[in-house]
Amino acid sequence: MVSSMKDWMQYGDPMSNPYYPYDTYNVVYDLGYEVYQFLGGIVAWLIDLLLPGNPVSEWLMSDAVVNAFSIIILALVIFLVIFVGVLISLWEERKVLGRFMDRRGTMIGMKGFMQCVADGLKTFMKENTMPKKIDKMTYMWTVSLIIGTSVLVACMLPLSDRFFIVNFDSGLLIVMALYALAPFFILVSGWSQNNKYSLIGGMRAAESMISYEIPMLIIVCSVAVLSGTFNIGGIVAAQNESMWYIIPLFIGFIVFFTCSCAEAERSPFDLAEAEAELVEGWQTEYAGMKWGLIMLGDYLRGFASCAMISIMFLGGWNIAPFASDAVNGFLPEVVQLLKGWFIFFIMIWVRVALPRVRIDQILNLGWKVFMPLSVINLAIAVLLKIGGVF
Amino acid sequence: MPIKYLDKYPKNPARSLWVLKPMWVSLRLFFKTVRHRPVTILYPYEKEWIPDNYRGRPGLRFDKCVGCGVCSRMCPTGCIKMVEVADDDGKMVMRPQVFVGRCAFCGYCAEYCPVNAMTVTPEYELAELFKEDMFYGPRRLNFKDTTPGMEVHLEVTLQSDIDAGSPEKRHHPHEIDNPVVDEDACIGCKKCQKVCPVDAVEMVEKGLNAKGKPKLIPLFDPKKCICCKNCVIDCPKDAIHIEEVL
Repeated sequence: MVSSMKDWMQYGDPMSNPYYPYDTYNVVYDLGYEVYQFLGGIVAWLIDLLLPGNPVSEWLMSDAVVNAFSIIILALVIFLVIFVGVLISLWEERKVLGRFMDRRGTMIGMKGFMQCVADGLKTFMKENTMPKKIDKMTYMWTVSLIIGTSVLVACMLPLSDRFFIVNFDSGLLIVMALYALAPFFILVSGWSQNNKYSLIGGMRAAESMISYEIPMLIIVCSVAVLSGTFNIGGIVAAQNESMWYIIPLFIGFIVFFTCSCAEAERSPFDLAEAEAELVEGWQTEYAGMKWGLIMLGDYLRGFASCAMISIMFLGGWNIAPFASDAVNGFLPEVVQLLKGWFIFFIMIWVRVALPRVRIDQILNLGWKVFMPLSVINLAIAVLLKIGGVF
Repeated sequence: MPIKYLDKYPKNPARSLWVLKPMWVSLRLFFKTVRHRPVTILYPYEKEWIPDNYRGRPGLRFDKCVGCGVCSRMCPTGCIKMVEVADDDGKMVMRPQVFVGRCAFCGYCAEYCPVNAMTVTPEYELAELFKEDMFYGPRRLNFKDTTPGMEVHLEVTLQSDIDAGSPEKRHHPHEIDNPVVDEDACIGCKKCQKVCPVDAVEMVEKGLNAKGKPKLIPLFDPKKCICCKNCVIDCPKDAIHIEEVL
């Protein structure tokens, strides 16, 4: 007897799958589940038509295999969403920067959005050139690791309580840890390129990143003190119950914003790639596709910083504190992305308005101003917690 | 002002608030450019508005031109040459030809044209593939939509007019300047009559020459004369000059 195609597609509840990896509902996993049920169902049905009663079709639609393919699709979808979000922030930077300078920005296709795609394609089609006297292994490995950690940081940040890849209890700490990995790779890559500009740029990048890491971590701690958890969903829920932490921790917001500008190597703190002094900083010897991916990694880090600011200070994916669940449940992913792009707009604004700082100024600022301010911020958080306000 | 006050106290941390000023300035420009479009004009698709008397390439109204050659003599780059062409009746006449590759678009030819046949035009996209195509003959110089605004007038107020109590601008001072002949030097060769483009010269008998024979001297009709100075230039004895009216 010939089986119908519908027999192979069981659109079930993904949470009833015994291999379901999460505790709560995940909309992306659900999407992957449905997509695999459809595509895998067709494949299983075709194989079953050719060879009736074969074990492969049964295996393809078994719970474990469905779960595995759903997770692959989940990873792909989350990466694609973050990737498109970063492309949009790139487009936003070019357009807004243009308007700030009384010009038009990019103009090609979809109000200039396709220019980013075209630039990406162009860098991918370039020849893979490499200098002769480099340390080839570290040269290639470090750049892969820098890009890899950047992608990982951006993908680790959830867009809502149903749109995440892993729901860690130590979510913010893991994001900060991945953030802190990049300076070492940048330093090594600057050394491996056998070029004075790269070496100076790599050292500058490493020292500025290390000095700005500490205030950032202290501010993450003060947010954790207020909310009582490092879990990103927990921080957002705690803000929904009390208020956005930008109000009690305004100093922390300013310091974290500035530090994340420095962390993502954005102007006015882009000392590591100061075009006027060092050719392109530690990226000097990277050409073509490698350079394009490094730029993408930079923007991914900037995007992740914006998402972190939105989660820690602006209530994450909730539209407003004390609003009803129906209001806060309205497209939380889009709300989170919009808040991230708004913070990115402020970053662009700072980039337009302010000139680049010197290396001694950036270190003075980091150690003598932001360090004490972040400690004061932590003290405020502790006092508020002890006083029973939160 | 607050920054000026804070300059007295270089250690005051409030001095770092100077960053707010450039941020405010740039945000104001941002809102302005979002509301009104940026200044950039997408040139091939959009074009800037240009006034009537925009000094593009020269234009020529063939029928108005008298072929006096003032434009070719006035041209600072020497790109205008008088060439012989057939007019509407088939008669051969002299008309200007412009090499726009050399033209500086100064508009002097239109300014000095005594009959306002030469105009400026709003045409400025004149790129050609070959140099030969840059020669604009008298017929090609014609601009279809010539308006009175494309004429360029040389406006002058004369001191004598102010003294007489009517300080109006004159469009062409040449209208009142006139050639004057030195009767002793004139040999009556009729050259001025030949070169006059508007037939303003009439040769009349007056007096006797050195051999005691009656001689011809030119009589200029001030109403017809356009003061093109062709007679002054071509006179073999330099007997004619222009009398300036001040």
